[in-house]
Amino acid sequence: MAFLAPLFFLGLAALSIPVLIHLTQREKKMVQQFPSLMFVRRIPYQTVRRRKLRDIALLCVRLAALLLIVGAFARPFLWRPNAATAIGATAREVVVLLDQSYSMAYGDRWDRAKAAARDAINRLGPSDRASVVLFSSGADIALRSTGEKDRLIASMDAATPTAAATRFGPALKVAGSILAESPLPRKEAILISDFQRSGWRGEEGARLPAGSTLTPVTIGGPLDKPNASVTSASLSRSTFSDQERVTVTAAVANRTIAPVTGDSLTLEIGGRAIQTLPLNIAPEGSASVAFQPFTVPSKNMRVTVRAGNDALPTDNVFDLVISPSAPVRIVVVDSGNRPGAGLYLMRALAIGDAPKFEITSRQPAAVSDEDLRRASVVLLNDVDVNVGLGRRLQRFVQDGGGMFIAAGPRATWPQEADILPASLSQPIDKSRGESARVGALEYGHPVFEVFRAPRSGDFSTARFYAYRSVAAAPNTQVLARFDAGTPALVERKVGSGHVMLWASTLDLSWSDLPLKPVFLPFIHRSMVHLANYTEPAPWLTIGQVFDPDASSAKAQATGRLALTPSGKRLPLEDEGSSAQVLELTEQGFYEIRGQKANSDVTVVASNIDPAESDLTPVEPADIVTAATGSTGQNAQQAEADVPLTPEAQERAQRLWWYLLATGILLLGVDTLFSNWLSRT
Amino acid sequence: MDPSVLARIGNLELVSRAVVDGFINGMHKAPYFGASVDFAEHRGYVPGDDIRRVDWKLWARTDRYYVKEYEAESNSNFSVLLDVSKSMNFGTTGITKLDYARILTACLTNLVHHQRDRVGLVTFDNDVVDFVPSSAKHMEVVLHTLDKVEAGRPGSLKAPFQKMAEHFGRRGVLVILSDFYEEPDAVLDAVAPLRFRGNDLIVFHVLDKSELDFGFTDASAFEDIESGEQMPVVPDAFRKEYQSLVRAHLDALQQRFSANRIDYTVLNTSKPLDHALYSYLSARARMMKVR
Repeated sequence: MAFLAPLFFLGLAALSIPVLIHLTQREKKMVQQFPSLMFVRRIPYQTVRRRKLRDIALLCVRLAALLLIVGAFARPFLWRPNAATAIGATAREVVVLLDQSYSMAYGDRWDRAKAAARDAINRLGPSDRASVVLFSSGADIALRSTGEKDRLIASMDAATPTAAATRFGPALKVAGSILAESPLPRKEAILISDFQRSGWRGEEGARLPAGSTLTPVTIGGPLDKPNASVTSASLSRSTFSDQERVTVTAAVANRTIAPVTGDSLTLEIGGRAIQTLPLNIAPEGSASVAFQPFTVPSKNMRVTVRAGNDALPTDNVFDLVISPSAPVRIVVVDSGNRPGAGLYLMRALAIGDAPKFEITSRQPAAVSDEDLRRASVVLLNDVDVNVGLGRRLQRFVQDGGGMFIAAGPRATWPQEADILPASLSQPIDKSRGESARVGALEYGHPVFEVFRAPRSGDFSTARFYAYRSVAAAPNTQVLARFDAGTPALVERKVGSGHVMLWASTLDLSWSDLPLKPVFLPFIHRSMVHLANYTEPAPWLTIGQVFDPDASSAKAQATGRLALTPSGKRLPLEDEGSSAQVLELTEQGFYEIRGQKANSDVTVVASNIDPAESDLTPVEPADIVTAATGSTGQNAQQAEADVPLTPEAQERAQRLWWYLLATGILLLGVDTLFSNWLSRT
Repeated sequence: MDPSVLARIGNLELVSRAVVDGFINGMHKAPYFGASVDFAEHRGYVPGDDIRRVDWKLWARTDRYYVKEYEAESNSNFSVLLDVSKSMNFGTTGITKLDYARILTACLTNLVHHQRDRVGLVTFDNDVVDFVPSSAKHMEVVLHTLDKVEAGRPGSLKAPFQKMAEHFGRRGVLVILSDFYEEPDAVLDAVAPLRFRGNDLIVFHVLDKSELDFGFTDASAFEDIESGEQMPVVPDAFRKEYQSLVRAHLDALQQRFSANRIDYTVLNTSKPLDHALYSYLSARARMMKVR
């Protein structure tokens, strides 16, 4: 005999209650005072003794009732170490894992998957319990551990394929946690899926509890129905008649064994078909379709590339958001009295295409507040800066602007505006002897990251005949050094902006760097970095998160909300007004807007994971082996060897029920007995 | 009048007067009344007699000196021996045995005071507690003592009665009020010394109704008031045996008192006091006849 909850035996202390009552009632029984017991004492005592005996019998009944009730709560059972397949061994904990990734919409796969799940549920025995877990890239428990078949089937019927991709790892982990918590002896997971290879990498580390079995139910079949999927799209921008034009090129793949013939590919803008091209793809082939360029007159143009209807319509649509490219506005401050001083710099900036650079050239005295308000970067090309301009530039940088200082022989900076990353000293002449070179670069910095790879640009070829000796200030970063060890490029973060100090000129007076191939990308990367410019992504993939604060949507102060493709409204602020990121779960266009009617709108295109279009299956046995550590047959054998848990044995024997019923019956007997005693 | 109502009247004098006056008014034609007359007999004058008591009319007729003897001179001492042991402090009918006995004592005292007898009072438990000598002037003292009486200690008869017998040197009437929770022989042994001086004894056995019929219903622990001893008792099972035991006890007492020419009356505190007064007066009448 063993007990599942032996702590309940502490309740045996309750046995003392009737004893105490019995004793105290004897002691504190109603006392009748009487003048003398002279005559009472003469009456034979036998009568009293007989009554006491009857009370003890009553006491025993009460004690027995309490003992049985306490014993019932302790959940006793007869321990049988070898009772593996005894009564109750058939009770199963079944987890039905139903794949609802969008590939399950191929042909009749979803209907067959639901039928298989329904069969698994209908096979449940009376003592079995089951859970329904719907999974795609994540896993949700639709119904947890119940024996009600109707509810299980209803929870499964309510599900539909989502737009997410298949990931077996989360589903198996959820199943493992459900099975681990189950007291039932047999643990079984049924994985119903089309078993796409893209959903299993073998590194998920999901293991079911020991003794569990994983039964794969493959919803596959021949890929004999054509399925064209638009896997990606590329944008090519050009300018024609001062208007920006974009050419969309879509990549379409056919991963079935049936050819796609006579199909069409349509370019839609704002929901209206603009252009339709024929689409023919060989079996397991791909094609690239370029549409005619079109102008981009406004922001957030919703562009959709749509293939014709086929067996898997979900992957036929590819959405993009196209906006006119925004130029990086740069104010180049030059003294103007040195012809050709800015020649190489201006030419380098004029070549910029992605992004474009819009240049405004000013002399120091002509820099207006409007120039600074519109500009993203101010480039001081070896100029003398007075106190007034220095303070205005300080405010400009603190507000988020970027400043690049080319420190030639004429460059000065007022002490009153302390934003320089290094102090300027006298020039060092290297015109005689061996010239200086840039010896060390900080390749981890965004400016020099493009030069990290071999043969991606060599700064050491540039010769410097003179440079300004600078001493880096604290809390600055030296991005490049001359071979003598003195800093060549130093950066400092000031407020929300950055300041970079180049210790030489950007013309040919002190170096031949402008003649080197690295000059142009160096200037471009520096300007892009200082302008904090990021190219807006034309689309994101389902499962990614969109950070509104990192986009133009941050202009909306508070009260932002997201309108999902299905029309749901999601607030993007918590109660504490901290912004939330938006997890993309649906295919289509998300809108992020403010509460006000005229607020700016940000549109995000959310596309399905194209890898899900590849219906090539993985071998289910690989997943079974990885999840259970053995083949299915071994698992079955292991299951048979697993002894019944104490919980299972206790549940099967249900001794507590009999004890409780007997205890309650005894309490009833006690009531009748005591009533009878009180009458006699 | 209901004893329980009388018990609620605090003034014993008022109670006794109400009872006795009502009793006398209702019974003034009774033959018992008038036992006390002024003239008793003549006797010859002897030197030393008060010449004021010489019957001059008789001298005129007979020319001999006779002295008048008056009945008043034959008034006896009347004392009540009241048991104030703890067992007397029991009652289930709204009045305790002690209160009943106290009222009865007051009534009897009042009654005999009307007859010009000398009244006294002795209270006792296992010893003499209060002693008021018999006197024609002690009516108020007796009532005051009765008023203060409290039952406090266990009682016994032998020791206090022996002590009392020494005090009652003059012949009189002794009324004993007690519940007599002792064996009949022991009771008689205790009482007997009181008769040695020629006292007339009238015994009232005061009992509560429940002591006679044991009319309890609930099974409970019965506690002896005097000793504190407890016994579990199921009254329904005990009743018949108890009643027979009490009956036998009373019969034994009756038999022994009668054999010793002692008037014995059992008083039920649920009954009016008239019964006790009738008993007293009838006993008194019998004494007079005997005399």
